[in-house]
Amino acid sequence: MLLNLKNIYKWYNVGGNRTFILKDINFEVQEGEFISIMGPSGSGKSTLLNIIGMLDEPNEGTYNFLHENVFKLKEKQRAQLYKQYIGFVFQQYHLIDELTVYENIETPLIYQDVKTSERKALVADMLDRFNIVGKKDLFPNQLSGGQQQLVGIARALIAKPKLILADEPTGNLNSKQGEEIMQLFKQLNTEGVTIIQVTHSEKNAAYSSHIVNLLDGVIKR
Amino acid sequence: MIKNYFKIAWRNLMKNKVFSFINVFGLAAGLASCMLICLYVYDELRFDKHHKNVEQLYQLGTVFVRSDGEKKSSTVPAGVAAAMKQEFPEVVNTTRFTTLFADDKVLLQYKNGSETRSFYESKGCVADASFFTFFDYNFIEGTATTALVNPNSVVITEAIAQKIFGKTSALNKIIHVESNTNGTSDYTVTGVFRPGAEPTHIDSEFFLSFLGGGLENYTKQQTSMAGNNMFFTYVELQKGTNVEHLKAKFPAFVDKYMGNDLKKAGFNKRQLMTAVSDIHLNSEIPENVTPPGSWTYLYILMSIALFTLLIACINFMNLSTARSSKRSGEVGIRKVLGAQRQGLIYQFMSESLLLSGIAFIFSIAIVRLLIPVFESVSGKIFSFTPPQYLGLISIFLGLSIVAGLLAGIYPAFYLSSFIPIKVLKGRFSNSLAAVSLRKGLVVFQFTISVMLIVASVVIANQMDFLRSKDLGFAKDQQLVIPLRSETSKGIYTPLKNALSVSNQIQSVGASAYYPGIFNPEDANYYREGQTADDSKPARTNRIDDNFLQTMDIKPVAGRLFGKAFTADSSSIIINEKAVSALGFASPEEAVGKKISTDRQTQKVSWTVVGVVKDFHFEDLKTPIMPFAFMLSERPDYNYLLAHVKGQDITTALKTAETAWHQLNPNEPFEYSFLNDDFQKNYKAENRLSSIVGYFTFIAILISCLGLFGLATFSAEQRTKEIGVRKVLGASVSTIVALLSKDFLKLVLVAVVIASPIAWFVMNKWLQDFAYRININWTVFAITTFVALMIAFLTIGFQAIKAAVANPVKSLRTE
Repeated sequence: MLLNLKNIYKWYNVGGNRTFILKDINFEVQEGEFISIMGPSGSGKSTLLNIIGMLDEPNEGTYNFLHENVFKLKEKQRAQLYKQYIGFVFQQYHLIDELTVYENIETPLIYQDVKTSERKALVADMLDRFNIVGKKDLFPNQLSGGQQQLVGIARALIAKPKLILADEPTGNLNSKQGEEIMQLFKQLNTEGVTIIQVTHSEKNAAYSSHIVNLLDGVIKR
Repeated sequence: MIKNYFKIAWRNLMKNKVFSFINVFGLAAGLASCMLICLYVYDELRFDKHHKNVEQLYQLGTVFVRSDGEKKSSTVPAGVAAAMKQEFPEVVNTTRFTTLFADDKVLLQYKNGSETRSFYESKGCVADASFFTFFDYNFIEGTATTALVNPNSVVITEAIAQKIFGKTSALNKIIHVESNTNGTSDYTVTGVFRPGAEPTHIDSEFFLSFLGGGLENYTKQQTSMAGNNMFFTYVELQKGTNVEHLKAKFPAFVDKYMGNDLKKAGFNKRQLMTAVSDIHLNSEIPENVTPPGSWTYLYILMSIALFTLLIACINFMNLSTARSSKRSGEVGIRKVLGAQRQGLIYQFMSESLLLSGIAFIFSIAIVRLLIPVFESVSGKIFSFTPPQYLGLISIFLGLSIVAGLLAGIYPAFYLSSFIPIKVLKGRFSNSLAAVSLRKGLVVFQFTISVMLIVASVVIANQMDFLRSKDLGFAKDQQLVIPLRSETSKGIYTPLKNALSVSNQIQSVGASAYYPGIFNPEDANYYREGQTADDSKPARTNRIDDNFLQTMDIKPVAGRLFGKAFTADSSSIIINEKAVSALGFASPEEAVGKKISTDRQTQKVSWTVVGVVKDFHFEDLKTPIMPFAFMLSERPDYNYLLAHVKGQDITTALKTAETAWHQLNPNEPFEYSFLNDDFQKNYKAENRLSSIVGYFTFIAILISCLGLFGLATFSAEQRTKEIGVRKVLGASVSTIVALLSKDFLKLVLVAVVIASPIAWFVMNKWLQDFAYRININWTVFAITTFVALMIAFLTIGFQAIKAAVANPVKSLRTE
């Protein structure tokens, strides 16, 4: 088992009323799964993904990641955990505009204190694998959306995470580019990377091994 | 990692050229200001620190204790030096010197065969033989220790030597020196020195040996230890002397050596002693050989410099936090990718350090460029040895790093505090705290700028007042012709006659001194029925029968001197202040009365024939004091004054010059204008005025740059709002008003805060002047107007640009 969520609640207090974003979420992910989280806007998909990614905290509930109780960990240990095991892919790519393709991909390694020579080798491998060697010195705004997302995925993969969290990874791409990205995910999944994606698209969800439907903060079976 | 940080920092700098320029230029200007002030302060601090034995050297001083108060002076009578050495075994050696105080310029002549060459030099002094064993001078000819031992020796600077002797050696050449103070004599050049880079409180450029001059004779006759306090006297103490212990013995010393003389003179004295290294900045005596520096002045300069730098740092803080929405995404991603907050703080700090590093390089260039200007403004010459330069550069580098850290620390903490899911999703908005802090900082910047504007305006007003105030005599168009040599004193009568008949000249007179220059003579007068104990000091000037008329000093009772009155040799004319000091009820009552003074033990009396209106014989920092005029016994006046008629000064000058050359072909014709000489007393004020002026300009410039940056940013951010408003029918002017209002409000708040502070500080400064302006509301009205105008011009450009933009365009880009 890679992770499990037990009795997760997330709410906001608006004018004395409690508005629930997530209500009693119980959820388990095995290593090697490819899960799509689906649901209409405002159903809590992104919040759930952020909680899994340890970027957000629920108001109640427990979360175990590789048998560690995440919310009992100190801030630093938690950061250590997701730095090592989780990679993020965003709808808006969120590349750093001031860094080149090469540098964007390299950044997570810098934060993990990987040595320069090793970094070079790893980034070179990744550029090779995604066929973007020729673009390594370009800046994000010189790339198309699909290419930017490729860089985003390369960056998410560089630290060899066990889990990729993708928040509508194809939302800003045309269908051809989107399909390429999903093919890539599928291939990564067969190589053993666990993937959780949030998506609106049935077509994209079809790539996954497992679909979780959210409605008003509750998982529909 | 560091390399990575700097790379990003550099790319950010390049990407936002306007903001980078504002920050780099502002910081560089702020740093350069600080550096220049550093140079100034450093130079002030190293005065007299370079003499070999400086720890053992002390200057003697005097406190005059009179019934009407105490006065401190840095001079003592001639005999004190010898008495000290005799009385105290701690005193190893003494030396005395005095400036040629009765000369503003001294005539030096060199006879080379039949040719006589004349030069005027202004900074001369008379010194004891031991002078050069006390103070270190860089001799390039002759031997320091023996240079002044023989009578009639003179030591000159390299510059004077070159002027007089050209390339040939000056040593053993004979110079003829004519001085009002020390008489006329021939002197042998025994030394030539090169003024060093190290500043000293003694700025003399030629040193006459005490032996063989007129002053030697004078001091032989005048042995009283009460008066004649004209010698700067220094003692060298034995190593390990307890100075406090020695000072404790001074009252007994004064009793023993001066007691009798003081009793006769009717006042008391205390002996002072100041370490030579303290003379320039840490002395309790207000005047010395050269005017001492003042900590107040240094503090003013240092705080102005620091505030300027602070304004620049604030620009960086404000622009960084205002633009934080642009950086927030990056912060979010970095955090998601595993960056710790600490790492981000380092990253942002390295950005500000890179910036301050670049600013440092620019500021060094600016300083190099501005040193000549600053030298002339500050009246200093900056020259340092290589190790000193290295030290200064490292101080400057340290300053830049501190500035970088100061500017960077707040933005670093602020930016690194963003929570990733908030900044990655949805729009980012600045926190209220950050916005109010930014406003507060803008107010702070403008408070400083407004204070500086007020200061500049007040100083300018006061300087204007000093220039234009009625001094009680005709100060304009007064041509002053100095009579320095025996020959020129001898031509007084024919020269006066020649000028008197000229059409361009209204009136000619002569005197020992004239208003605006130092009037060293004084005497203690008392009226009939009083004794020397009741006497009151009054400055005294020896004049001819037409001086008061020429100066247009008006009588209020009695009469002036004049050709018609031939029996005036024991007549005296006093001013109104003297009338009340001497205890007469009115000017009319004083006329016809006798007043006397005791010379040594002899009583000398005069009859008051006239009382003149009070006039300013010194600068307006000093209140008008009692003053007396008497006719000179012999016509040995130091100055001839000619009141030029009408505007034709050039012709008048030509007439004077022709007359001079006919009567005295061997000496160059020299002249000055009384008003100019009078204004020279305000050198320090003029200097302060221009320094404050420059810094005000720099501070305002940097503040405005920051404001410009914020306005640019604000206009950018509100493009959509402006577009919508325009579509709804807003006019250009309402939009300009909308955009300007917020900033102008801040400037107005700054004016409100700054005005009382500036009023308080400037009032304090004005206290230095006995005669001063009142700071009235117009100063603040002008300042408010100027500040608002400057701010509006700064913001207006951006506001108008935003307001006239086509709304369709701005709405589409959203």
